[in-house]
Amino acid sequence: MSVLLEVTDLVAGYGAVQVLRGLDLSVNEGEVSVILGANGAGKTTTMRAISGMIQRNGAVRFGGEDITHTSPNDIVKLGIAQVPQGRGTFTDLSVSDNMRAGAYVRKGGAAQADLDEWYEIFPRLQERRDQKAGSLSGGEQQMLAIARAMMSRPKLLLCDEPSLGLAPIITQELFAILGRLNAERGLSILVVEQNANLAVKIAHSVFVLETGSIVASGTAEDIAKDDSVRKAYLGY
Amino acid sequence: MAHLLQYVLNGLANGSMYALVALGIVVIYRGTNHLNFAQGEMALLATAGAWWINDKGVPLAAAILLAAAIAFIGGGVIEFGLIRPAGRKSPFAVVVVTIGLFQGLNSFTSLLFPKVGNGVKFGTLFPNKPADFFRLPGGAIWRYERIGVLVTVLVITGLLFALFQKTKVGLAMRMVANNPESAKLAGVPTNRILMMSWGLSAAIGAIGGALIGGINANINVSTMFGVFLLASAAATLGGLDSPLGAVVGGLSLGVIESLVSNYPKNWVASTYIGADTAIAVAFLIILVVLLVRPSGLFGSSRVERV
Ligand SMILES: Nc1ncnc2c1ncn2[C@@H]1O[C@H](COP(=O)(O)OP(=O)(O)O)[C@@H](O)[C@H]1O
Ligand SMILES: [Mg+2]
Repeated sequence: MSVLLEVTDLVAGYGAVQVLRGLDLSVNEGEVSVILGANGAGKTTTMRAISGMIQRNGAVRFGGEDITHTSPNDIVKLGIAQVPQGRGTFTDLSVSDNMRAGAYVRKGGAAQADLDEWYEIFPRLQERRDQKAGSLSGGEQQMLAIARAMMSRPKLLLCDEPSLGLAPIITQELFAILGRLNAERGLSILVVEQNANLAVKIAHSVFVLETGSIVASGTAEDIAKDDSVRKAYLGY
Repeated sequence: MAHLLQYVLNGLANGSMYALVALGIVVIYRGTNHLNFAQGEMALLATAGAWWINDKGVPLAAAILLAAAIAFIGGGVIEFGLIRPAGRKSPFAVVVVTIGLFQGLNSFTSLLFPKVGNGVKFGTLFPNKPADFFRLPGGAIWRYERIGVLVTVLVITGLLFALFQKTKVGLAMRMVANNPESAKLAGVPTNRILMMSWGLSAAIGAIGGALIGGINANINVSTMFGVFLLASAAATLGGLDSPLGAVVGGLSLGVIESLVSNYPKNWVASTYIGADTAIAVAFLIILVVLLVRPSGLFGSSRVERV
């Protein structure tokens, strides 16, 4: 199994505030990796550093290529799409324009075939395609955020706390969809969660993040065996 | 009735000028959430440039287009060289920079084109001989030049609408305006888009300035002061982030100004209501509109994200 994303000794933060202190993680081709971490551990910072949104040091390699100094727009072009925390909806744009926005890096823009495909997977979005995206419910916006990210045809999907603020039933649906994207399309996914039973179920590898570095990692089964991790993050 | 229609038509001509400058304000506000206090003076410099090029023998229409093209580049340079570095400090620094630009560009215009400092004659793109008008039923006259100015504003608005709604650059501009962080994550080179917004705004200003010069048959260093005041009011009335709002706001203000400064004279012969009173009334109306609709007539009241 080849490594798609490899992060080594990642150091990043905001100005003088250092948040990540030498973080290592990886996502294998066609697999799902999950980062578990409490509030403020640095999960969002990790995601933003991978996407090139903030200054970073260390090494980020994607598909064998060093992207540590690559700009965010080139990183998207290489095939990393991020669903940011809070969903990042273009609230004033229509649902269909949000989809077109997701395809921004594609030459010639959004292919109709892709739009049709995602509307088939998310029929609610099709029903509301001419509506302002800000008027969608939280769950609908989360689905839109995933569809939007997928419009760029990424090899790796980054999801930052996708379940935040969603009803449990919607969260289940959400992880079912992420699981299918991985299983049926071989999409590699890196997902960040706080309370993560559902996330761990679809995960191949799990990383536990505490105050800016990885304190435990392994397969989902390994992690579930670790009592302290299980109590802290899986809640049983 | 003839009077009423006449005042409306006159107001629409002035309103067209406010609308164009307001459009420039809106294009920048959408991208950066800053009111560009230098919008009027950017237009002044570009118009002075158009005058100079025209003076050297280039036909006026070509001179204006050339000045607009140079203004496009100049607007981009201003964003890159001044606004962006200031923005890294604080939003307030940007306001200070645009106020500084207001003063600086005005002085720079006099320095570069000393004749403009004292006022120069400015030509018009439209027929404006004494007999160039339609007579409307009821007796009001509509001068070709005023029609031309209004049509130009409507055409530019249509083009802007097509740019925003139908092109990829326009989509990127709307993305950056709505959610810069998500735009970046979607792969939009946000800095380049902001530069283009400033360039576009400056180019629209150049055309607006040239139309103002045409209607006044003159430009001088204080031409844009009053226009900017009313244009920023028009943009506020329209909602600051809506191009359609800028046009509706600009045209309404022009008409209100014209009605208020002319009409009551027919009722109260001894009372003179001047242009200043008209502006005061216009601002009063804006105040009332904003009390009822804080985001303006067409502005998007931002939906809070969950
Ligand atoms: N824009 C910022 N500027 C300064 N500090 C920040 C910023 N964003 C986050 N932080 C700090 O970085 C730390 C990690 O934040 P974050 O990565 O958002 O954590 P998580 O996503 O795991 O909840 C926190 O202590 C937070 O206060
Ligand atoms: Mg977070």
